[in-house]
Amino acid sequence: MNASLLGPELVIVGLGLALLLLDLMVPPERRRWLGCVAAATVFALCTYFIAQSGRTGEVQTAFGGMYVLDGLAVYFKALFLLAGGVVLLLAVDWTDHAGHAVTEYFVLILFALAGMMLCASAHDFATLYVSLELVTVTFYVLTSYQRDHVASLEAGVKYLILGALSSAFLVYGIALCYGAAGTMSFTELASQSPALAGSKLFQLGMLLVLGGLAFKVALFPFQVWAPDVYEGSPAPTTAFLAVGSKAAGLVLMVRLFGSVLPDLTLKWEPLLMVISGVSILYGSLCAIPQRSLKRLMGYSSIANGGLLMMGLAAASKAGSAAILFYLAGYLFTVVCAFVVASVVVQRLGTDDLTALAGLHRRSPMLAASLTLSMVSLAGVPPLAGFFGKFVLIRALVEQGASFPGWYVLIAVALAGVVISFSYYFRVIKAIYWSGETAEAPPLVLSPLVQAALVLCLAGMLALGILPSFVWEAAVAAVAGLRL
Amino acid sequence: MRPETLAWIILLLPLASAAAITLLTRRQRRLSAALSIGAVAVGFVASLLLTRSFGALAPRDGEFLLASVRWLEVGPLTVDLGLRLDALSNLMLMMVTGVGLMIHLYSRGYMADDASYSRFFACLSLFMFSMLGIVLASNFVMMFVFWELVGVSSYLLIGFWHERASAADAAKKAFLTNRLGDFGFLLGIILVWGALGTVDFAEIQRTLESDPTALGALATLGGVLVFMGTMGKSAQFPLHVWLPDAMEGPTPVSALIHAATMVAAGVYMLARAFFLFDLPAAWPDCLSFLAGISALDIIAWIGGITALLAALMAVQQSDIKRILAYSTLSQLGFMVMAIGCAKPDAGMFHLITHAFFKALLFLGAGSVIHALHHEQNIWKMGGLAARLPVTTWTFVVGTLALCGVPPFSGFYSKDGILAAAESRPLLFGLAILVAGLTTFYMARLYFVAFAGTPRDSHVAEAHESPGVMLWPLRWLAIASILGGFWGIEHTLQTVLAPAAGHGAAGHGAAGGFFATLLAPFGHAPLAACLGLFATGFGFALAYSLYASAPAQDPLPARLGSLARWMRDKFYFDELYDVLVRVTHDAAAAVADWVDRWLVAGLLVRGTLGGVDVCGRILRLVQTGNLQTYAFLAAAGLVLVLWVMLL
Repeated sequence: MNASLLGPELVIVGLGLALLLLDLMVPPERRRWLGCVAAATVFALCTYFIAQSGRTGEVQTAFGGMYVLDGLAVYFKALFLLAGGVVLLLAVDWTDHAGHAVTEYFVLILFALAGMMLCASAHDFATLYVSLELVTVTFYVLTSYQRDHVASLEAGVKYLILGALSSAFLVYGIALCYGAAGTMSFTELASQSPALAGSKLFQLGMLLVLGGLAFKVALFPFQVWAPDVYEGSPAPTTAFLAVGSKAAGLVLMVRLFGSVLPDLTLKWEPLLMVISGVSILYGSLCAIPQRSLKRLMGYSSIANGGLLMMGLAAASKAGSAAILFYLAGYLFTVVCAFVVASVVVQRLGTDDLTALAGLHRRSPMLAASLTLSMVSLAGVPPLAGFFGKFVLIRALVEQGASFPGWYVLIAVALAGVVISFSYYFRVIKAIYWSGETAEAPPLVLSPLVQAALVLCLAGMLALGILPSFVWEAAVAAVAGLRL
Repeated sequence: MRPETLAWIILLLPLASAAAITLLTRRQRRLSAALSIGAVAVGFVASLLLTRSFGALAPRDGEFLLASVRWLEVGPLTVDLGLRLDALSNLMLMMVTGVGLMIHLYSRGYMADDASYSRFFACLSLFMFSMLGIVLASNFVMMFVFWELVGVSSYLLIGFWHERASAADAAKKAFLTNRLGDFGFLLGIILVWGALGTVDFAEIQRTLESDPTALGALATLGGVLVFMGTMGKSAQFPLHVWLPDAMEGPTPVSALIHAATMVAAGVYMLARAFFLFDLPAAWPDCLSFLAGISALDIIAWIGGITALLAALMAVQQSDIKRILAYSTLSQLGFMVMAIGCAKPDAGMFHLITHAFFKALLFLGAGSVIHALHHEQNIWKMGGLAARLPVTTWTFVVGTLALCGVPPFSGFYSKDGILAAAESRPLLFGLAILVAGLTTFYMARLYFVAFAGTPRDSHVAEAHESPGVMLWPLRWLAIASILGGFWGIEHTLQTVLAPAAGHGAAGHGAAGGFFATLLAPFGHAPLAACLGLFATGFGFALAYSLYASAPAQDPLPARLGSLARWMRDKFYFDELYDVLVRVTHDAAAAVADWVDRWLVAGLLVRGTLGGVDVCGRILRLVQTGNLQTYAFLAAAGLVLVLWVMLL
């Protein structure tokens, strides 16, 4: 027992519970401050973890090895907390305008955040499943939070049913793995790794587990839900789904395939490559005809899931470090885009690209932020997206010497990047060059939105211009992997 | 302070000043000017200090100091950011910073009413940085980089009044013409690097001195390609067309860049890399019809032709700055010709003295233009001598120096060039003719603009310029008078022609004042006497035509169509216009077709269409129907399981 390791998660859960109680006492017009308090707490914890990340190397476990705190966990927790903090800021602004009961929304975000943090530390199939379900179940509510919007409800139902399906795969896979290995502990699985890699039954189980996790990351063949759910959900939810849920799936994949079962990873390299390549192409191609910004981001999310998967397929520490770095840049970029989407949807009532026309005159900051985040997603230096793609592809090139198939994947990734230019830049074109628009009143941004945007832009630029800090942290975080 | 440190300070201060003005002090006009002037002034003082600590005027043979930082390493190519300090570069440093300082000071007065005062000084500082970079460069790549930077700052300054279409066009023309030459220069650099494996001046020199055939059959071609850089930057025929148009820039710019320093960079480069041109003629087989013609022959003739053509054109111009511009062209041709005659020391000597008196003449012209509210046509002037006494006497000093009247500096340097050409009778005759023409058009300018009576009401109201503009004129006038006695020639001979064991080694440092004064008559009497005779003849001709202060130019009536050809610059602009239009339009039509049908049509639109169709088809998967989604997910999983396990 080393329960003190769970401190941060307990703080988040406790904060959520406290907010629920405070909600009863605080008058409705003051409830937005609860969200601000939650955001402040989350940022404070995030700072703590960023400070912690310097002390990697020591691995601490709790609950008989079911919970682990190592460099990887610390890195991802900092990432989740950062995303959660910015999303909370956005949520406060969103609830200001949505007119729903507000505190529950903050609390649900906190619970999902706690689930993600537990995912980062999961070191046992039981912890893995429970923490992942905590995230997923919370998101069922978060996606359908706008009860009076059909789109939101539809998104909730789709996410619920498909999520349940994937959970079923996951839990069935875990059962089969337990049947084959006789243990759910990652520590023991790791010691049997070479033998298990040869077992058909274990492989069947792990493929089902992979399917369950691929659902979270929105990877082929479990990608179909993403566009619909992204489009229908409230924007803060989508932002958290795109960053947090994806990262939760990825941290589990990195831990499972990088640390616990490296032999299986090497054996499955072709599968991972195919998943990654198909996801990139599917996401990029389908995004082209889209008219809705959030839906477009859904497809972009699939393509980016594929890009992240390349790092796993590379089966190297450089590849995993690249995933970590890419996620950090992706966090700032995507959250930035969804902050803009959130404001646009609320004020203009639609997120159709035509509604963005003349945004630069109504709110230069929104237009510039969306432009920069699209440019970063497209991978143009000196923004975060460029360096992220660079380290990912570099990891593949390093592998290319051993097996030329890597070059095919690199070519696919580059093709995807080129295709992605067309739709990312269509968004920019829609803002600046869509002809004369009728005089529209300027959009005034709340200080919270401005703070969120500034934070995201600063992160995007910092990771692009001075990538070494985060890159070194990412490299240190994956030092414990067995690849 | 160590000389290397001083050199870095000289180079980097103008850059710092340009950056500071652009980023911080754009609104504070006085501070911007002070920064820019301060940077040059410190540079000038530092150059003088370098002379003392390093002894540029008493150099030892072939020695130089090097302050270098490794800049880039690409495969076998290593390029240093190196500063090469020797007597040659030190002399240039003093000239560039000294003349530059005068012109910076002058600009304070000349540009005082301009709205973009700070931008002007920022550009000037950027130019100084680039020019000093060329002077100090220790290798071809670095020189090329600064070469281009000079081109950029020249572009910025010619087009300084970019709201005037003619200025913007002139800037563009200058830049593009220069690029043409630079392209050849770059090819030449690549060729030398390819053959010798190094771009460092000292290493190239060492290689070529030990083995003059190291470049093989490409020796002459390489020299000619590198010389193309000079043709562009120093405006040599046939790339001379940009310089007269560059007079659209503010007059201090014309003085600094398009008379004293930048256009001289080409000549400096020829002297710096003289070892590359001074090789026995060697052509590749496909160019064997040129056999026997060495790079220096080509350089000499290009210089001679430029000198003659430009002098002829100058005779019939009526814009005061354009007359000086063509005169600059002609003098640059002289310098290039001297180097082509294997006398780089003579060319460089003329470069330095020319910088003094041509900057003086341009600044004098600027003072006139300033006084007459931007009137530049000499036929609307006349009688300026009475209204602008200081401008007039300094202008006369500059004119006498340019015409080569002893004991003004121009006499000594021009005599060196005439002496250099003595061995080639045809070029020698041409040079004498040009010397006569020079006196003719300068005397014409003086008689029409300064002597006689005013032709326009503006002249009567003209006032002498403020002191900040007059003092640079006075100082430059002093330099123009005394430039021949400072031992510059001796220094240059020691650096550039150490082996020659010059017959007149006495003149310069060793002999007395009178020996120096009369030295040209001693060592090359024919050149000196003929040069003086040509000068006198030109003056007499101009006197007979213009001393009576005619209202119109009497020359067209006497020369007929030749005068028209001279006035219209032998129709080079029109010729190039047609040539460019024909070839350019043809190339553009082809490129347009390729771009429209192959690139945009087949490649871009084809790819786009294909991708778009793929996207639309794939999108059909996304029905929005939950059952379909669940089925797809399950089917996908089954597919994966089937592939992986069976």
